[in-house]
Amino acid sequence: MLARICGHEFRPFVPPGYLTQHEYTQYFTEYTHGVIMATRRGARKTAPTKRASRADKKDATRRRILDAALTLFESKGYDHTTTKAIAKRAKIAEGTVFNYFPTKDDIALYFFELEVDHAIDAVRRNTDLAKAPLEERLFALVQYQLDYLAPYERFISAALVHALRPESQLAISVRGLALRNRYLAFVRDIIDETLPAGGGHSNTFAWAAPQVFWIYYVGVLLFWLHDTSAGKQRTLAFLDRSLAIGVSVLRKGTI
Amino acid sequence: MASRKAASRAIKVATLGAGMTGKYLGYLAQKWFLNDDQRETKLKATHREAARHLSDGMLEMKGPLMKLGQALSLHTDLLPDEALVELSRLQMSAPGMHPSLARAQFKSSLGKYPEEVFAEWNATPFAAASLGQVHRARTRQGAEVALKIQYPGIRETIEEDFQWFRAVALPARVSQHLPTHILDELREQILAETDYAREASNAELFGKKLAPLTYVSVPTIDRALTRGKVITMSLLSGDHLDDFLARKPSQRTRDLVGERLFELFYYQVLRMEAVHADPHWGNYLFRPRGEIGLVDFGCVKYLPAAFVDNLRKVFLYAGPRDSPEFRRLMQERYAPRGTKLSATAQRALARMAERFYAAVYPSDPADDSKAFDFSEPTVLRDYMIEAGNLTRAKAGLPEYVLLARAEMGLYQTLHRLRARVHTSRIVRRYIDNA
Repeated sequence: MLARICGHEFRPFVPPGYLTQHEYTQYFTEYTHGVIMATRRGARKTAPTKRASRADKKDATRRRILDAALTLFESKGYDHTTTKAIAKRAKIAEGTVFNYFPTKDDIALYFFELEVDHAIDAVRRNTDLAKAPLEERLFALVQYQLDYLAPYERFISAALVHALRPESQLAISVRGLALRNRYLAFVRDIIDETLPAGGGHSNTFAWAAPQVFWIYYVGVLLFWLHDTSAGKQRTLAFLDRSLAIGVSVLRKGTI
Repeated sequence: MASRKAASRAIKVATLGAGMTGKYLGYLAQKWFLNDDQRETKLKATHREAARHLSDGMLEMKGPLMKLGQALSLHTDLLPDEALVELSRLQMSAPGMHPSLARAQFKSSLGKYPEEVFAEWNATPFAAASLGQVHRARTRQGAEVALKIQYPGIRETIEEDFQWFRAVALPARVSQHLPTHILDELREQILAETDYAREASNAELFGKKLAPLTYVSVPTIDRALTRGKVITMSLLSGDHLDDFLARKPSQRTRDLVGERLFELFYYQVLRMEAVHADPHWGNYLFRPRGEIGLVDFGCVKYLPAAFVDNLRKVFLYAGPRDSPEFRRLMQERYAPRGTKLSATAQRALARMAERFYAAVYPSDPADDSKAFDFSEPTVLRDYMIEAGNLTRAKAGLPEYVLLARAEMGLYQTLHRLRARVHTSRIVRRYIDNA
């Protein structure tokens, strides 16, 4: 499969098993923006300022398309939104939309990539979390994600259903898997930083903790979407208590 | 689902009880092999461990159970000192919410994170309550404020706790030792504490009505930053009782504070017809010159006017308590509830009035100049015995639940202050000028 991103064609690879957080970040950057790959392949060299300005412009267009799409996903629904309507709302040609996002699913994936980026970055930048216990760090990670998703509940709801369809690229696609693995690698990093080897998590199944967390996160998302309590009180309570139990199991190594 | 969660909490409580029993069984098994000194040391350690186990469990479960722990920690007469030290942790500290949860909870009510609203906020709480925790913050205008944030989902937890407690208390309900209306009153009051809009209104009302008592201060509510599960209020200065006593105040200061606390209580009952009914020591702040800061207005009992009228007639009653007149006054108090007093209940009421109230509150105005010494160890015991007799005689009223709690809290504090108070003189002031 050849992907055309930022004007450069390259063949994406499926990341093997676990990669470190850094490797995933690099992989993600290369895949989505193609800038590093293009440079390595000796792409036409341009002056740094000019290149930066062009990249900024492309980012702005990409963001404009995403904003238009998100507005329509929320108002008309994901299934009923066409790329033509997105192009019209973003005030660009439909062909340009395809240049940036070959399918509607690519737009949705781009949104989820930004969401995960935002949450990981927010956790990393929050210096108060550096010494926080595992349950608080995981809570903060999910909370940053939910904060990001909050304005788009209708779209998230539709995207979750859409991800279950065989033709959907949201869950079963190279980008979808890469995104999930990147997220899980970050969760693994948090667990390793907070519960260092030999320092506690003697659970035989600790290796599976990130995958279990992923399933848990999807469950939290469903709970949150159906939570009608004021200020999503029940989600906060559920997150707090369930993470306390989960981390306690991980620490003790028993249920 | 709710019943499953309720059952899960009931199991936790049972585990808590089993854990404590285990600690004492361990002591019993060892005591035969120890000499007297070792036994005493071991027993103290066991009290400490059991109380630590209990307070940890209550801290974790929060809600009504933590309230129960706070109430227990006021029983200086019933529990050993080692247990009191551990349980007193429930008054001022709790593991509570981690900073990320507190931030999220703040945002869920006010739509923004605390750091977006305040010039500065401290993510570590400085006080904990059974239903929430309090942080320091500084507004953009430079005012120091206290930020009270409620635990998420605490209302549901309380509902669940009462669900299983109703089931467990069925025999006591059937025997009328814990009548359903008393349980309902407790539930309603604890649930009312989750309503922060009501609490903010209570604080404003108390701030206004207590103005004549110039030595009492009440926090001012910042309405713009009070919404949902968050209350923002001015920060009061002062020490909690332990710290105040650690400064070794003079007997004169202790007496002054005691008289003021006593007046504050009767001013509320007889003048305001509303009582701050959460007497735990974290809610009172004392300053060196005897000023008192009163905080936390979640638990306020508004008393019916007819009930307070009756109290005015009964307080400092001069005649014999077994007289038809006193019986009529008692029946008048119970009539609005449709309760007909049994002979046993009448006797219990008369005995309490005679043995406790007549001793602490002499009715003869000639005795008004005599101060009652609350350092007397029997005062708390006598009150507890008579209150227990009332319960056994099934002479309870919903109004008593919180009023008695506030009254007992007052006596506990006065006892710890070792204060001497002109009880009857103060009460007479508010009966005569009603």
